[in-house]
Amino acid sequence: MQLKRLYGVAAVLLTFAMLFTACTAPVAPAAQAPAAGETATEEAAAPAAGDAAVVPMADIKIGLVTDVGRINDRSFNQSAWDGVKQTGEALGLTEGDGGIKYIETQDAKEYADNMQQFIDAGYNVIVTVGFALGEATTKAAIDNPDIYFIGVDQFQAEALPNLAGVIFPEDQAGFLAGALAANLSQSGKIAAVLGTDLVPPVVAFGTGYENGAKYVNPDIEVISTYHPGEISQAFVDPEWGAATARQALDQGADIVFGAGGQTGNGALQEVAAAVEAGGTLYCIGVDTDQWETLPAAHPCLVSSAVKQITPSVVDLISKFAADGSMNAGNYVGAAGLAPFHDFEDKIPQEVKDALAAIEAGFVDGSVSTGYQP
Amino acid sequence: MQAISPRRVFQALLIPALAVFTALVVGAVLMLLFGDNPLEAYTGLFQGAFGAAKDWAETIRRMTPLILTGLSVAVAFKAGLFNIGASGQFIIGTVASVAVGINFPGLPMVIHLPLAILAGIAGGMLWGAIPGLLKVYTGAHEVIVTIMLNYVASLLASWTVYAGGTQGQTPGPLWDSTARAISETPDVLASAQIPWIFGPPYRVHWGVALALLAAIVMYWLIFRTTFGFEVRTVGQNEKAARYAGINVRWVIVMTMMIAGGLAGLAGAIETLGLNHKFAPEFTGAAGFDGITVALLAQTNPLGVILSAFLLGALDAGASQMQFDSGVSQDIVQVIQGLVLAFVAAPLIIRQLYRIRKVPDESDSTVFSSGWGK
Amino acid sequence: MHTKRRFSPASIGLLIFGLLFLLMAILVNTDTPLRQNVWLRVLFDASTLNFTLRASVPLILGALCGILCERVGIINIGIEGMMLAGAFGAFVAKTSTNDWPLMASLLFGVVTALAVGGFMGLLHATLSIRYRMDQIISGTVLIILASGFTSYLFDRNAVAEGKFSAVPIPGLAQLPVVGKVLFDNPPLTYTALLLVVIVHVALFYTRWGLRLRACGEHPRAADTVGINVNRYRYLNTTLGGMLAGLAGGFLVLEAVGQFQEGMTAGRGFIALAAMIFGNWMPFGAAGAALLFGYTQGMQNALLLAGVTTVPRQFVSMIPYVVTIVAVSGFVGRVRAPAAEGKVYDTEGGSE
Repeated sequence: MQLKRLYGVAAVLLTFAMLFTACTAPVAPAAQAPAAGETATEEAAAPAAGDAAVVPMADIKIGLVTDVGRINDRSFNQSAWDGVKQTGEALGLTEGDGGIKYIETQDAKEYADNMQQFIDAGYNVIVTVGFALGEATTKAAIDNPDIYFIGVDQFQAEALPNLAGVIFPEDQAGFLAGALAANLSQSGKIAAVLGTDLVPPVVAFGTGYENGAKYVNPDIEVISTYHPGEISQAFVDPEWGAATARQALDQGADIVFGAGGQTGNGALQEVAAAVEAGGTLYCIGVDTDQWETLPAAHPCLVSSAVKQITPSVVDLISKFAADGSMNAGNYVGAAGLAPFHDFEDKIPQEVKDALAAIEAGFVDGSVSTGYQP
Repeated sequence: MQAISPRRVFQALLIPALAVFTALVVGAVLMLLFGDNPLEAYTGLFQGAFGAAKDWAETIRRMTPLILTGLSVAVAFKAGLFNIGASGQFIIGTVASVAVGINFPGLPMVIHLPLAILAGIAGGMLWGAIPGLLKVYTGAHEVIVTIMLNYVASLLASWTVYAGGTQGQTPGPLWDSTARAISETPDVLASAQIPWIFGPPYRVHWGVALALLAAIVMYWLIFRTTFGFEVRTVGQNEKAARYAGINVRWVIVMTMMIAGGLAGLAGAIETLGLNHKFAPEFTGAAGFDGITVALLAQTNPLGVILSAFLLGALDAGASQMQFDSGVSQDIVQVIQGLVLAFVAAPLIIRQLYRIRKVPDESDSTVFSSGWGK
Repeated sequence: MHTKRRFSPASIGLLIFGLLFLLMAILVNTDTPLRQNVWLRVLFDASTLNFTLRASVPLILGALCGILCERVGIINIGIEGMMLAGAFGAFVAKTSTNDWPLMASLLFGVVTALAVGGFMGLLHATLSIRYRMDQIISGTVLIILASGFTSYLFDRNAVAEGKFSAVPIPGLAQLPVVGKVLFDNPPLTYTALLLVVIVHVALFYTRWGLRLRACGEHPRAADTVGINVNRYRYLNTTLGGMLAGLAGGFLVLEAVGQFQEGMTAGRGFIALAAMIFGNWMPFGAAGAALLFGYTQGMQNALLLAGVTTVPRQFVSMIPYVVTIVAVSGFVGRVRAPAAEGKVYDTEGGSE
């Protein structure tokens, strides 16, 4: 009796699963380390994977621990994993037991456990993704001086010889996004829908955006808000992101910067839907070039404030694989704007020039984003 | 009171054991259907939970807070109250214990540690008292109030460590200013940390003894004291309790305070024994799992130990399972749901294995006879 | 049996309050001096009201699900799980039919959401009636299973293309303020609002509704007059599940256009609270849902306007604190259907 019912349940689910896998159109693979684009800053030279023509070290094994979330989150976990995969391929490693592997963290208390899995299994490069893993990574690096740790989004106050903290000037990317938004805005009002102010990179993006807009147009009105919930919800609530973007559009904003994982994606998709309903609106994505990761946002996605996580990870691991050199302390990866893609022709040349001037200003110090970490 | 005979114990454990077995079998069938290897998965799961001494340690560590949150929910059920608020009480307990733990340098451990633990209990009791008081004096339903208080608790907690916003907000009172932009408290002083029983790498702290003690005390309180009798009478029939001269209001408020105190204690020991600080990513998820634990134990305080152990083992094994077999950890949650379903519906198991019914055993357990009272 | 009070002082008070609110909304959203005041804009701007309705829709549907189940005597704390399963079903259906015409694909998504939700309802009924499981446990099982299954099976590379867009109702949509807020919405929003009326009428003005409530209040009596109590319970729990599934469908097909693990984010629990707050009445629950949505919209507007230096956590507490205050202050004791949570045995044993 009961078994029959269970088979019934299983059959229903199986049907769904088959529909699911069979009919879904294949999606373009995640951004293959998108070239930084003409506007990206050049603080760190970030070679593509192909350049890493290195002799495979005898027994290199690379493990990656995600922040709470998924490996294929179309965001920073995925970007870092892409970096590991690209390097791994160049070194002749394969996923699984062939030398590269990941663990998805389910709870913030498990960061250390998950790193320990790799340490116990003899991995010699461990990539940890997200600022929240910083402390656990530092501890593990002190306890295991022979293992090379790479902490994405982890600022190193004191350098350890075997721990590279990959950081990005998010405020500069946000500043450029704000400058672009202020240049494109017709209504004089722009919006930002942000993940949570409990995470420094998000605050850096948000502050940079606001100041960038004001830099171009001091009279512009910037309305922005952070997700009201706890940190475990803040990046995974697309409905809140969408509803808030709608609220901002209703209030007269014509550009929305969506910065906060799935929450931000919800905002971008809402703006895209509004464009399709007839409106001259734009949206700006975050972290990766979302033109590649979020096709649904194409109608409005003029650019993204990106952090070049993939090439940074590739660069660090390749160097280690080549001669065993470890990058102690901070490694500043590139951050800037993604290509305009279909909007290339709609952006006036003087706007592009203005953005280039701001970037030059970052380099020579004449432009400050006003963000205090 | 019931007599305890080996036969009875066997009878009582037979159904749960078969339920766990059946859930694992169904889980295996599902994994096969979706192309995962159940044998590898279960080997990894078992290895991760019991494979080596450190795995046992992980299982025990994860069991510890679950015992207390499970007790919190179970005790409330005994009085016919549904405490969905254990996660909020957990968080308040965490913050209260941290507030004491990071202050008062120079206090000897014999004073500081108990004080910090008591602060956690007190915080949880306070948070539990609110729905109790509102219920007896205004008739506000405890389910609504505890759900809402969960959100309020997590917002309040994240405010205490708030690093300050971009609009001139002041930082929260517990924020660690040396952490710069990161929202977290400083580490709890050594004199307020719960010692580890075996030392690193075994992260088992003496909190587990407190949790086991709490379970025994609760068993005694519910089944061996007048107050416990009153609690159970109120839970079974509030009207009858009133006619019998029981002060129902007092019982309800006290029960909610005890429930809150238990969840607060869970938060306190988890923090003082393990995390040593509060940051927004430490959520009260153990509070929601407490519902599962309590229901699995059929609200028996001693049964809570067993069910918390089971859940702790599943939790501890999950990441090793993913590491070894590549099977997503989500399947563990499915298995948990199935275990709960089979334990709570002995009829299914009995039909499946053709077990005859013991004369005085009932088919169903009813914990909460509806919302209104 | 309790008697229903119509036109109680409280409901007259609410009516007056509603009219005043409407007046303020119209004044603030037209070209009057009131528009210049930022605080009034936070409270009454059309953007806040739009947010309110949108945030309320899943809560309303979830609460209606709860009402259908509980009025017939089945406690349902599993709304969250039903909603999540419905959302996942809708997403799978939508992504697998991306190449269909948009409307057909979306409708297929809606039908799937209803079916999956209904299946969850049926499962809940089966576990609690046939297998005599405690209904609180059964609801918890639904939540755990839904969350585990949807995460386990979720293909994160699948993309749903397109979502429902607004359908202005000719004539009405041109009304000032009210038209923009109420009559320029996507189809599932209208459906949810209509369902409030439909469920209310069905519960209180049809024979079916009378029988249904009898099953929840006094099953023995219902049985003696020839009502098949358990059949009513199966049917209504399934119907309720369909409504919760529709709430999930709303999230995926109308609000966001994508699925995300755990995307219901506690809305099922808020819906549960709205159901109790609304005293198991459709209009009451819808009112509670709207109140909750409104406070959310207001706190968002407050933060967007940037007019307060109060730490945002306290601003974000507004919806929850308002709910607690309202529940303790204004509704007093609510009353659940009497026979809830108890398995009903006919003379011949279960079923």
